[in-house]
Amino acid sequence: MSKKFLSVLAVTLLSFTVIVTGCGTQSSATSSGSSDQSAASSGDIKIGVPLPMTGSEATYGKDMENAIKMAVDEVNAKGGINGKKLGTVTGDDACDPQQATAAANKLVSEGVVAIVGGYCSGAVVPTLTIYNEKNIPYIVEAANSSKITDQNPGNTFQINGTAVHQTQKAVELFKKLEAKNVAIVEQGDAYSSDLAKQTEAAWKAAGNTVVSHDVTTKGEQDFSSLVTSLKSKNTDLVFWTAYYADGALLIKQLRQGGYKGAIVVGDGSSDPKLIQMSGAAGEGTYVLSPPVAEFLPTAKQFADAYKAKYGQTPGAYAPLAYDGINLLADAMKRAGNTDGKAIIKALTETKDFQGLAGKVTFAPNKTLQESNFIVLQIKNGQFVLQ
Amino acid sequence: MVYSVGFKDRVLETINGKKTRAFFLSLLIIIVVLLPLGVNNYVEEVMTNTFFYIILALGLNIVIGYAGLVDLGYAAFFAVGAYTTGILMRYGLNFWLTIPIAVIFCVIAGIIIGGPTLRLRSDYLAIVTLGFGEITRITARNLKITGGASGLVGIQRPTIFGHKLYQITDFYYTFFILVILAIIVSLRIYHSRLGRAWQYIREDEDAAEAMGIDPVKTKLYAYMIGAAFGGVAGAFFAVKMTAISPETFAFTQSAMILLAVILGGMGKIPGAILGAVFLVFFPEIFREIGQMRMLLFGILLVIIMVFRPQGLWPERKS
Amino acid sequence: MHAMTVFYTIIQQLVNGLILGSFYSLVALGYSMVYGIIKLLNFAHGDIYMVGAFVGFGALGIFGNALGIGWLGITVALVISMVLVGFLGIVIHRIAYQPLLNKNAPRMSLLITAVGVSFTLFNAVMVMTSGEYKAFTTSLGYDGISIGPINITYTQIIMVVATAVLMLGLYWFINRTMYGKAMRAIALDQDACRLMGINVTKTISLTFFVGSALAAAAGVMAGVYYGSIHFYMGFIIGLKAFTAAVIGGIGSIPGAMLGGLILGLLETAGTQLPFVGSAWKDVFTFGILILLLVTKPTGILGKSEIERM
Repeated sequence: MSKKFLSVLAVTLLSFTVIVTGCGTQSSATSSGSSDQSAASSGDIKIGVPLPMTGSEATYGKDMENAIKMAVDEVNAKGGINGKKLGTVTGDDACDPQQATAAANKLVSEGVVAIVGGYCSGAVVPTLTIYNEKNIPYIVEAANSSKITDQNPGNTFQINGTAVHQTQKAVELFKKLEAKNVAIVEQGDAYSSDLAKQTEAAWKAAGNTVVSHDVTTKGEQDFSSLVTSLKSKNTDLVFWTAYYADGALLIKQLRQGGYKGAIVVGDGSSDPKLIQMSGAAGEGTYVLSPPVAEFLPTAKQFADAYKAKYGQTPGAYAPLAYDGINLLADAMKRAGNTDGKAIIKALTETKDFQGLAGKVTFAPNKTLQESNFIVLQIKNGQFVLQ
Repeated sequence: MVYSVGFKDRVLETINGKKTRAFFLSLLIIIVVLLPLGVNNYVEEVMTNTFFYIILALGLNIVIGYAGLVDLGYAAFFAVGAYTTGILMRYGLNFWLTIPIAVIFCVIAGIIIGGPTLRLRSDYLAIVTLGFGEITRITARNLKITGGASGLVGIQRPTIFGHKLYQITDFYYTFFILVILAIIVSLRIYHSRLGRAWQYIREDEDAAEAMGIDPVKTKLYAYMIGAAFGGVAGAFFAVKMTAISPETFAFTQSAMILLAVILGGMGKIPGAILGAVFLVFFPEIFREIGQMRMLLFGILLVIIMVFRPQGLWPERKS
Repeated sequence: MHAMTVFYTIIQQLVNGLILGSFYSLVALGYSMVYGIIKLLNFAHGDIYMVGAFVGFGALGIFGNALGIGWLGITVALVISMVLVGFLGIVIHRIAYQPLLNKNAPRMSLLITAVGVSFTLFNAVMVMTSGEYKAFTTSLGYDGISIGPINITYTQIIMVVATAVLMLGLYWFINRTMYGKAMRAIALDQDACRLMGINVTKTISLTFFVGSALAAAAGVMAGVYYGSIHFYMGFIIGLKAFTAAVIGGIGSIPGAMLGGLILGLLETAGTQLPFVGSAWKDVFTFGILILLLVTKPTGILGKSEIERM
């Protein structure tokens, strides 16, 4: 039997190999052709866009992709880069490290000269070296775990405020609210855990107390025992570091359980849906947020154009996604060519680039020199700038 | 009908002919070896991923197919392997030296999981292994040494004979060699005393016991060997990805590996390989349709099972 | 901590555990019923709960205008969801499971089919909702009874009562009706039942109907109680309910009820206990489950039987 199976195995694998090779050639043919495919738009200079297109974070990915495509169209309408047009190739990372490396290799295979995107930190980290080996610059627009900064092989630029920036803002806010017993709640993923741990360390370093550091599971609906536990510890400020959907649930159950103290949520919860889903319980909640279009005087035109084109208001990361392309275009112009090393050098030298979200100048570790975080509060069912 | 049967037999005969077999097998090996010359990084990545799942599927096949035990937490072994290598390398240990340690840790994990639970009814074994899988993942998430929720990042790339393994092609060949080793080991075990003992236990445990086979001990060996496969795969996974996080070892991962084994046909080496190939290729081929592909995948899974409950490549009853 | 605070906290946590546990029980019942009759671990059951929540959400959206989004509208939505999802359960049984049962396929294949069904439901809802969370808006407030710092809302009370009613109904159905008797008979010996003229396939379908309807009820109640629903809400609870069913002794109806309550209490206790806390509470729960199974392998109320896969 062992011999028989080997032969059959050989035939099967053979046919599969042929299929895969066929598919490989086919896929590279479709995207390098001039026809406008759904995933790849035509252009002389290809930009890779790794974002979650499937899975639970797909909404964010789609929103950012929209803004990126808008920016690309605008750059092209103005004549492109030194006469060449930009084009994008989207790679679905599904917020999963394994899928992300496959997507990254796919983008590299398609000959992209730069990468713009990146939503989930966990999916961004393992791809950095894949791009770096080919000298491809990566402008990370939303993901902001400190692990990205730590692991930066030199090609990566973060244009979202980092966890360090957000932590500073959080500590500032906690002090302003005169919090005594802070409780931090995270969700056990790379992003929320990073923010929670950094905040805990910073708050303790400032000589204050953290009464509890809790971890919930994504998709879990019942926080009642957590609420009771927090109340029994005389908590007067709860800091939620994960995403809005479960955040809204926690806020509701905190208020339902009779919790009277302050509630602060991190940038992952900065979404109008937080207000909608938390309802009356959400009133008064503080939100640490990346610069949202509606509070940026410079972004009015962008927000209108986005709404006209896609029929919805731009999400929390759309302005940064839009800025990423423009920053890249600016760097390419300054570099004078599309050589990876030249673009990386030009990006490093960026000084006071004016984006929708503010001025971009990179610190030596290639994160923003100045934090662009803002604090919002929910008042009468709306976000109000603090 | 008569013709078709005759035709089928003839085809089978041709395929099974010694010369044809040798021809196809060598052709396959040549193609797989030469493939990186002609394709892009993406195809190499997909193939490497396939190799990786083949190794895991072959490992789980020993537990499920050979010994007939349910395991819904196989990712735990793969996690132990990956984390052991990742942590030891952080303390400066050479990658190649971490592999035997990773294997030992996995075998110990196999004993811990298997020891007290193998006497349980099969359905309870399912939930217990699932529970152990979750415990492993949550522990990795909560401990400092495993890097918490962010996991371990910046794991060094290994060197072999002065050559640093860092490009996808390097890993392509590395994992291909591992697949060949895994197949050889699987075959040897299947035809060993132990392999026959598992077969007896699967067919009739009481009779096997009467023949002097210790069922618990024999089953435990299956866990240990299956775990060792996971450990090796995990160790190489860690250096290929350079970053590992607890989410990679969630229940879905275990379910995927399980699917590969059962889809292909339990107990069969080509079945496990076919299952792994299907599992990796399907979502990649249908990448363009985005979210719909996983829906399609689910429907297809049901259809395959309904029409071929023994798997795509069932073990022939002799 | 002050002694009184400790006391109040314990009471409040008991209440929390009871409510959480009643959701687990309702879902665990479906697992146990299906397992009892065809020895299938129906992995798709958690997703059926999720689909139930969405059907209820849709029904409330349609009838909410006429009936309001208070208790009347919710009850109608609940019933509609139970019936529709019950039929979905039958469809799943007939399409995905019965062909395998006819072929006498290995139980492993049945398990994988269930995983396939789970994938299908999960991804279908994800595609339809674009992966978004939906706010399950109702007009129920937070009014309730307060004893000192202990809060129990009327919604919570009604949830627990509704669960109890559904379970009593099920108990009556299984023990007092012909259909229930047929179900119990099939669980014992299918071939003998065929000889006695019981339509086995139909009875299995009925089991799927009842189990799915209960899961749908739990889904709608969870939507109402927590206020938001999403496509992966079934995954965690599916896992937990499965655990609950095993704790109680899978295949046993009272066992599933008991198992759910025990699991709910264990989890709330885990969150509050020092050295466990929310980060380790699942390890705590699974640890106890494993300990229990090793010492009492049939679960609390399960019958011992010798069988192999």
